[in-house]
Amino acid sequence: MIEFDALKEGLDLLFLDPNNWLIIVPGILIGLIFGAVPGLQISMAMAVFLPVTLYMDFTKAMLFLTAIFTGGGFGGSIPAILMNIPGTSSAIATAFDGYPMSRKGRHETALGIALGASCVGVILGYGLLLLLIGIISEWVLKVGPAEMAAVILWGITMIGTLSTGNRLKGVISGLVGLLIGTVGYSEAGVARGTMGSPYLLDGVPAIPAMIGMFAASELLRLSNVQYLVEEKGMRQARPSAIARGFLEVFSHFGTIVRGSAIGVFVGSIPGIGSSIANLLSYMTTKKRSRDPSTFGKGNPAGVVASESANSTSEAGSMATLLALGIPGGGATAVMLAAFAMHNITGGPQFIREETDVVYAIIIANLTQAILLIAFGLCFIPLLANVIKVPMRYLVPSVLALAIFGSFGLTGDMSGPLTVLTFSLVGWLFKRHGFSVPATVVGILLGGAAEESLIYTYQISGGLWTYVFERPATIVILVLLVVSVFGEKLLNTIKRTH
Amino acid sequence: MDASLVVALAALVLWYCVDALSASRHILNIILILPVTAVVLALCAIQLAREALRPSPPAQKVEPIGNAPTSFALFAGFVVALPWLGFDVGSCLFLMAYLWLQGERRWTWIFGYSLTFASTASLFFGAMLPYPMPMLVFPP
Repeated sequence: MIEFDALKEGLDLLFLDPNNWLIIVPGILIGLIFGAVPGLQISMAMAVFLPVTLYMDFTKAMLFLTAIFTGGGFGGSIPAILMNIPGTSSAIATAFDGYPMSRKGRHETALGIALGASCVGVILGYGLLLLLIGIISEWVLKVGPAEMAAVILWGITMIGTLSTGNRLKGVISGLVGLLIGTVGYSEAGVARGTMGSPYLLDGVPAIPAMIGMFAASELLRLSNVQYLVEEKGMRQARPSAIARGFLEVFSHFGTIVRGSAIGVFVGSIPGIGSSIANLLSYMTTKKRSRDPSTFGKGNPAGVVASESANSTSEAGSMATLLALGIPGGGATAVMLAAFAMHNITGGPQFIREETDVVYAIIIANLTQAILLIAFGLCFIPLLANVIKVPMRYLVPSVLALAIFGSFGLTGDMSGPLTVLTFSLVGWLFKRHGFSVPATVVGILLGGAAEESLIYTYQISGGLWTYVFERPATIVILVLLVVSVFGEKLLNTIKRTH
Repeated sequence: MDASLVVALAALVLWYCVDALSASRHILNIILILPVTAVVLALCAIQLAREALRPSPPAQKVEPIGNAPTSFALFAGFVVALPWLGFDVGSCLFLMAYLWLQGERRWTWIFGYSLTFASTASLFFGAMLPYPMPMLVFPP
């Protein structure tokens, strides 16, 4: 629980030096801009600005980087809602309902809801972290590769079964994605599925593939449309409507709390947390809804579920970084580099000896969330003006930006070529009822799933009965079976009785 | 068409599995690929059987393809030509061609917008990225 002496020291560290706030403000703005530009990544922003932190003390460096992280976490939802381009894998589920809301002219509400859910989620997530950092660090230590493999399979199956009308096609999509995610060099030291191309030796670039499947395919479809929002009267970006959307979040408080809990715990799983947390939260909310058929068609609860989970998964990944020194993803990997630049190693010892710094980081993030509300409400109306741009200008501009961004992600032509290839795949999948989200998540997590299976095999010495010694794995696998067959089983039982 | 896509996916997955097996039969190489391929092939077979056995459904309203193939061809040309045209000239030409194809006939807008967008994006990304981008006019 909370150590109050350290908490007071943390507060002093944060509030007695006004320079800390001079760093946080530009950090949030940098994050917002990088998150909102399709193709740019939060981790890229953090990496670009990492050298700047060399001249700061450790606390300031962490405040600056976490401010970029917080701003970018929300910024990614802006292109997801307005253009169906999830800037990061953690904003995938935001696009499911955010983009249909935009197409219906409810973009202001969707953006306000995303801002509200993100900020409330960050506050809840870091609040939870403040209370539970000790427990979470112990919990993360117990998550082994078998649990990780099971979580990935569960996530992909859930997305596959729920994101399309045809469950079978959904699961096929997810599993095909999983296989695509394993292309390239394997642990056995051989290349698979590369067709002799040197570009594929490191695997299919996942983020360009995601941009191609989600964004480029949708933009090609939108070539036939005049404006993103068809009705002229609805093409507005009124701060008052965005503020109303922000307040609407509080009518979905249960969804936020559930999303935040999923975000903190799943987000703390290294490597996969943020990609899965938003999807699990979305799928859980959809399953629990009285009318699941409205999801994917512009249900605000979908945006709330996704944004509350992805913003709190940031808190979860910070817990893993602070408690174990293991980065949860690209952004926390850059933070780990900042740790190394300041000769600091994360882990239980760091938490024990530098508790005041840990508390300062957590409280700074809570404050950043409040600042983000102000910045978001000021900047969203400017960014939302994109809906006034005719599609004949918007489509080629965003496609070109996606190509610039994908080159930035890979450093060679493999990024743009991947966007091109997967835009065609995404377009075909959408037309024929296959699940694009399931394929994308499969591609993102294929490598991690294979690695987890290999580690499980190595730890168990090849004995598959090892799974039965892992109660958490069994629970997740049971959840997987229930989520696929549960409804059918219930219906069969009801019919027989 | 649905069945063709299912068959194509099954063929792709089978080819990938065979390629992985021919590279190495070591368990570390096929621990995920082999079982997942088996499951995908089984699911594809079930899907095909379902489609074959199900009475043909009433004709559904399919969204018209419209300009999508032309847009995709233009987009493909833009990406493939990037190593020669560079990001600056390539993106400018792509924007000009796309605008013209989509009905924009005001040449000042076509030239003005394409030039402004392409040069701003090229300069921004060129300055932000740590590696050189292919460029024809701007220095890489």
